[in-house]
Amino acid sequence: MKKYIILFIFLFTTFSARVYALTPTEVPEKTPAESQINKLKDRIASRVAELKLVERRGIIGTVDEVTNTQITLTDLQNAVRFVDVDELTKFSSPSAKGTFGISDIAKGQKLGVLGLYNKQSRRLLARFVDVLTIPKIFHGVVTGVASDTFSLNVTTDKEKFLVDVQTTTKTSSYTNGGGLVKSGFSKIKPGQRIMIAGFYDIKDKTKIIPTRIIIFPELPKNPTITIPASQEVKVASASATPNAKKTNN
Amino acid sequence: MKTEKVIISFIAVVIGIFAAATAFYFYQTTKVIPESETKTLSLSPSPKPSPKATIFLTLDTPKDEEVTDKKTVSVSGTTTPETVVIVSANTNDQVLTPSSNGKFSTTVILENGQNELTILAIAPGGEEEKVIKTVTVSTETF
Repeated sequence: MKKYIILFIFLFTTFSARVYALTPTEVPEKTPAESQINKLKDRIASRVAELKLVERRGIIGTVDEVTNTQITLTDLQNAVRFVDVDELTKFSSPSAKGTFGISDIAKGQKLGVLGLYNKQSRRLLARFVDVLTIPKIFHGVVTGVASDTFSLNVTTDKEKFLVDVQTTTKTSSYTNGGGLVKSGFSKIKPGQRIMIAGFYDIKDKTKIIPTRIIIFPELPKNPTITIPASQEVKVASASATPNAKKTNN
Repeated sequence: MKTEKVIISFIAVVIGIFAAATAFYFYQTTKVIPESETKTLSLSPSPKPSPKATIFLTLDTPKDEEVTDKKTVSVSGTTTPETVVIVSANTNDQVLTPSSNGKFSTTVILENGQNELTILAIAPGGEEEKVIKTVTVSTETF
């Protein structure tokens, strides 16, 4: 019997939960004015929290996927971005002749989206979606010059392309002593470091239509760019229209 | 009498544990693993340390994805001294040379809507470091 009593006491002290006596606190009844003030306080607090959570942001990205309510983009940092679209979102495109909406957006288009970014959900609620026509910047080295067709062969660390220089292309040259000065097509030589601002040709993705060119005769090429020895002095065989009237800048 | 029983029981348990441990030890040492179940682990020599970066570029302004109502934005940052910094916007370019401590700053003209700013630093040896920022000009309220 003694054993059972000891066992009972042991189990009781080890496994029993503690219970505290609770005396209810008397809550004074609120007046209607006080309850209204409290409601307003809550609303202000939630609005402040909402404003801190959301901020205006503008992003640029290439369309990966489009649905009626969402656009998935790859931004300039190669990150996937989710853009929500609602009835307040306005769409525009410089090439659109009539109305332009989400159904006109296609995969591969470059978009600019302005909207409210939610830091928690990391989603952008779009207010303005525009199809962008801004030039792409390329930094590379000239591997060939074709004076008869006003075109260049350029190699960057990622790709090789043909640059079809236009009459409207602004060509400049930068040197340490002279700074950035106006230049011309005739000053471009194979082996020079070059910066090109331009667009891919719609029909031929290996061709660039430049709007601006800067050559850097004093700066060496990027060491990550490898050019076969045979290509370094090779003259470009351009597919540009040879009869097109072009002038040096 | 009771105390003796407890001590004997304790000693018996200790002896039992010792015997079991000894048996397990002998079992493990005499165990033979067939060759078909053995795997050869080859260790490659330690990887070569990556070459020390010869150039760096950090931007203080603008903030990426910033929205402004002004048509200009300040581009400032730090890079390796003796580099050339090219700042390209949608419609214009600027070429800068940073100060002796690598600081550089300029004002870039923006277009309405989204502007893609490409900032490229080129070291005297040709190495490059690039940063791309998006700045949006808008006076819309929402």
